[in-house]
Amino acid sequence: MIPLMVAFPLLFAFVIVILDTLRAKRTLIKAAFLLGVVLPAWVFLTERGREIVGGWNRAAGIEVGISEINAPFIAGELILFTVVALYSIPYFDFRNKKTPKSLALLLLLHAGLMGAFIAGDFFNFYIYMEIASVSAFALVAFSDEKGSKRAAFKYLILSLLASYLFVFAIGIIYMETGYLNVELVAENALPSRELQAALGIAFASLLLKAGVFPLHGWLPDAHSIAPTPVSAVLSGAVVKAPAYGMILLFSALPPRETFREAVMGLAVASVFFGIAGALLQKDAKRLLAYHTVSQMGYVLLGTASMNFVGAAYYAMAHSLFKGGLFLSVGSLGKKSRKLGEFGYRNAPLMAFSVLMLSLAIGGVSPFIGSYAKGIISSGLGGTWKWAVTAGTVGTLVSFTKLNYHLSKGETGDLAPIEKLSALVLALATLCAGLYLGAEPKLSDASYIFAAVLVFFALKFSGVLEREVRGEAKDVGKDVNVLVAVFVTFMLGVLLIQWP
Amino acid sequence: MKMSVVVRTTTKMTSPFLVTYAAYIMLHGHLSPGGGFQGGVILAVAVILLITSHGYRKVRKKFKFNWASLIESSAGAMLVLLGIAGIAFGAFYSNFLPTEGGIILPFNIIVGLEVGAAFTFVFYILLRWVESD
Repeated sequence: MIPLMVAFPLLFAFVIVILDTLRAKRTLIKAAFLLGVVLPAWVFLTERGREIVGGWNRAAGIEVGISEINAPFIAGELILFTVVALYSIPYFDFRNKKTPKSLALLLLLHAGLMGAFIAGDFFNFYIYMEIASVSAFALVAFSDEKGSKRAAFKYLILSLLASYLFVFAIGIIYMETGYLNVELVAENALPSRELQAALGIAFASLLLKAGVFPLHGWLPDAHSIAPTPVSAVLSGAVVKAPAYGMILLFSALPPRETFREAVMGLAVASVFFGIAGALLQKDAKRLLAYHTVSQMGYVLLGTASMNFVGAAYYAMAHSLFKGGLFLSVGSLGKKSRKLGEFGYRNAPLMAFSVLMLSLAIGGVSPFIGSYAKGIISSGLGGTWKWAVTAGTVGTLVSFTKLNYHLSKGETGDLAPIEKLSALVLALATLCAGLYLGAEPKLSDASYIFAAVLVFFALKFSGVLEREVRGEAKDVGKDVNVLVAVFVTFMLGVLLIQWP
Repeated sequence: MKMSVVVRTTTKMTSPFLVTYAAYIMLHGHLSPGGGFQGGVILAVAVILLITSHGYRKVRKKFKFNWASLIESSAGAMLVLLGIAGIAFGAFYSNFLPTEGGIILPFNIIVGLEVGAAFTFVFYILLRWVESD
């Protein structure tokens, strides 16, 4: 019955299109949308284990399952998506003809993510990740904001290029082992240079799709320009699908020590690059988008240290708090997203939610971020642990900046659902943290104190006044540069995998 | 854009045969080379040939834009329902029909309709941009 998690959103996505063509009442479309969003959660709560779709044998069939590793991914996505669904109905509000299409695309995105997270074989994972990304391109392009087509185009070209290389690598794996099923590949893989090359290619393409430094070029534009609920899903859930793909890849073909060390170095670079990028942004949603680059570094750090459970919990934690932050900052900054021009001064409930979410993303206990960070750093050696701590302080510095600017400005009217969605996700981070057993620690207070000090030091030294936005006038040139970076990076990965 | 009388007559004559051929490929997909996707593409070609030779406006009166959308989305929904129907017999997409090929035959027909309608749909949308009949 596990495949029903994918079947329901897919079915209701088609139903919405039928209802829209027949010009049915809006309430029917809304009901179909909500059913498609909620029914997978019911399946998730009742089903466990592994099964083969259609009852075929394992070597030829499609294996799906819910296990210890992918359950956090699915849980995070389901909670986030339910809140986003409730938020997006008044947000899109049937202003124009695009609304039913946006809702259908959101359900397709949901189906794609569910399919990717329950997949137990590479090809099925690839197909569903593609369904999710293609709906994401369309949703980014649907935004009314200036530059949305450009951002969507950049996202489309880079993501599709990565997908082709990924499916090519899957082809090599299939050729060498004769299986696509992750467990069967793991059992049948013999040491070979072809498999090492395939691992490198597949890994580099997933890194691009996950938006990890230095392949993050498309991410800040796409995630900041998209409509607010879409931004929340893109940052919260869509980049998690490739992260889950990396876990599948590493569990099928365990990487060698040199490769793992290199990836861990890359993950730490991504953590700090994301923080540095975020500190130099003036646009609030761009700031959050750079934090996605940084947070994906933590997920990658967990994956590269073969601590898959830690990576999964961090991904879930990130879904909750980043989705909440995007929803709250998006609702506060409807008129202008420039830092300092809007804020939560006259909205105490929003202030409370944003502060809680900021503490959660910084990894302060007893929020879920600290629990997930704890698992990740428990699997790391001595010096790497310091990187996690430094990352915590860096993230807190950046969120001190966000909250400093938000506390100065005021916002317009907020709908009840806008206040409620942020509050629900903020409470979810707290409750999940308490449920999983995060305990308050005194050292966190010193991190916050250090972060505030560093923020004011940076502010008075004038570093934060600058804004860095390297962008060519011509979108073609931009794409060329990013593709060149990607190809160079992939060649580098292949050189590491050479001997 | 209207093409010459030779092209219009030829396409009018070949289109019905193309539809028959598409139906044959869909219905025999489980026995011989072919299948839903291939049949669907040929089905779409039958309509697309008429559009290119006779012009978008004339064909649109007969093959309505909304029909393409409706067939496409309902075929998609039926495809999922076919899978859900299998649950009554044990598993999602289980092969529950006792005939030769089982559910592959209905599956191919639905996929054919889906693909045919979707290609026509895409062609209609692209032609909206060049509506210079």
